[in-house]
Amino acid sequence: MTGRGGVTTGPLPIGQFVQMVKQTVVRDPLFKNQALRGEVTQWKQYPSGHTYFSLRDQDGQMRAVIWKGRCAIDPSIKEGSEVVVLASIDLYVRRGEIQLNVERIEPVSILGELEKTKRLLIEQLTKEGELDRERLVIPAVPKHIAIITGAGSAALSDMQRLIENRWPGLRRTVIGVLVQGPHATEQIVRGLAAARKLSNPEYAKSRGQPPVDLVIVGRGGGSPEDLWSFNLEPVARAIIASTVPVVSAVGHESDILVSDLVADLRASTPSDAVERVVPVLPELHYLLDEYHERLGNASRRQINDNLQRLRTLHARLRVAPMAGLNRAKATLFALSSRMNVSANQNISTQKTRLAQLEASLTAIHPQRVLERGYSMTQTEDGTVLSSVEGIEIGQHIILNFADGSADAEIKNTHENEGEQ
Amino acid sequence: MTEKTPTYTEAMQRLETIVSTLERGGMGLDETLKLYEEGAELLRLCKTELSSAEGRLNELQLDEIEAELQAVEK
Repeated sequence: MTGRGGVTTGPLPIGQFVQMVKQTVVRDPLFKNQALRGEVTQWKQYPSGHTYFSLRDQDGQMRAVIWKGRCAIDPSIKEGSEVVVLASIDLYVRRGEIQLNVERIEPVSILGELEKTKRLLIEQLTKEGELDRERLVIPAVPKHIAIITGAGSAALSDMQRLIENRWPGLRRTVIGVLVQGPHATEQIVRGLAAARKLSNPEYAKSRGQPPVDLVIVGRGGGSPEDLWSFNLEPVARAIIASTVPVVSAVGHESDILVSDLVADLRASTPSDAVERVVPVLPELHYLLDEYHERLGNASRRQINDNLQRLRTLHARLRVAPMAGLNRAKATLFALSSRMNVSANQNISTQKTRLAQLEASLTAIHPQRVLERGYSMTQTEDGTVLSSVEGIEIGQHIILNFADGSADAEIKNTHENEGEQ
Repeated sequence: MTEKTPTYTEAMQRLETIVSTLERGGMGLDETLKLYEEGAELLRLCKTELSSAEGRLNELQLDEIEAELQAVEK
């Protein structure tokens, strides 16, 4: 037989070959942590504490081992039980036998029960309106995250690494709890209660830390039974009761649990939870720097615009009084010259009229009339006579001349004809 | 603004409004300075928020944290 890769030409020692097969087989992720279903046969619990059996169905079978203390074994499991196991493949080199290393084992009857309680719980919560309730808002910048998960678990170290990458030194408190097994439910509920206390400002102050403002509760993937605590009512109720937003981060993408349905945010895996709630710090700084720059630039431009407007106004203001003054002066000048002209005109008009009046006044003075040969007749009591009417025969009258007067007596009177 | 410290999200939204208002222009000097000051204050606030998120990293077992909380209660 020719060696693989052409390195060895002689026949391979079988032990070495089995070793090679083992390495290939155990490395394949497909054969790791698989949930498998079958019937138990050759069930044997040894005094050493290890349990050996075969898992089989009508199409095939495989040897399996549960190492001492690896997991709780339901006492109802016996020859012929239908079970689900979570197991990884291993190869026992000494015998060249492939076997399953079992991490968990559950009788199928229990699984069926579990599915039923999960369905009932979801129905109940739906009826109560808890699935439609308004969810708490995840803070954009969480100041203190509480992470409730298995202490020392792979899920925790994944989350820790991812957080450090995104936001080095982000404040967080890990509350290590059991996430599977008989005490998991109670511990998760207590973990949520502790996180709730940590969100109380009073508590936070006494611990010298800001209050917890976000909770991530979860674990990595596993068999349905491993994740089962997250399907149970106490955990669901504790999440619903939380006054701080809770992110449910359980298992693989495909596992949908009751905790996912009631949480304020559902993440498909613990790492997904971190990616969804922990911002990348440098990106936030970049955004703030950008705003800073835009704010500065826009304000400077506004101030410059205003200065420019001010300068224009200043220039206009400087010339404005001169223009006004000049306009006023011109108006004044125009007014005064108009006044002079009209005053002069008035005076000469008045002079002319005065002369005319004087002339006509002179012309009609009685003395002037008498000088021209007319005389004025008066009665003895001084009444001026201008008509013949009313004069009586024998009446004494006085004739006035320019240079004196004469007394006379009326001899006769004659009225002019055609005069009235 | 004055009555309650805005959240980071609110601060960022307000900042966006302020910056785009200033960028649109046509603002008086008074208003410009007022907006600039508000914007600068919001930036300060956001930076403080970011630095206040940094802190201790506690990793405790459930029992330990419960004991710690009980001590606080007493």
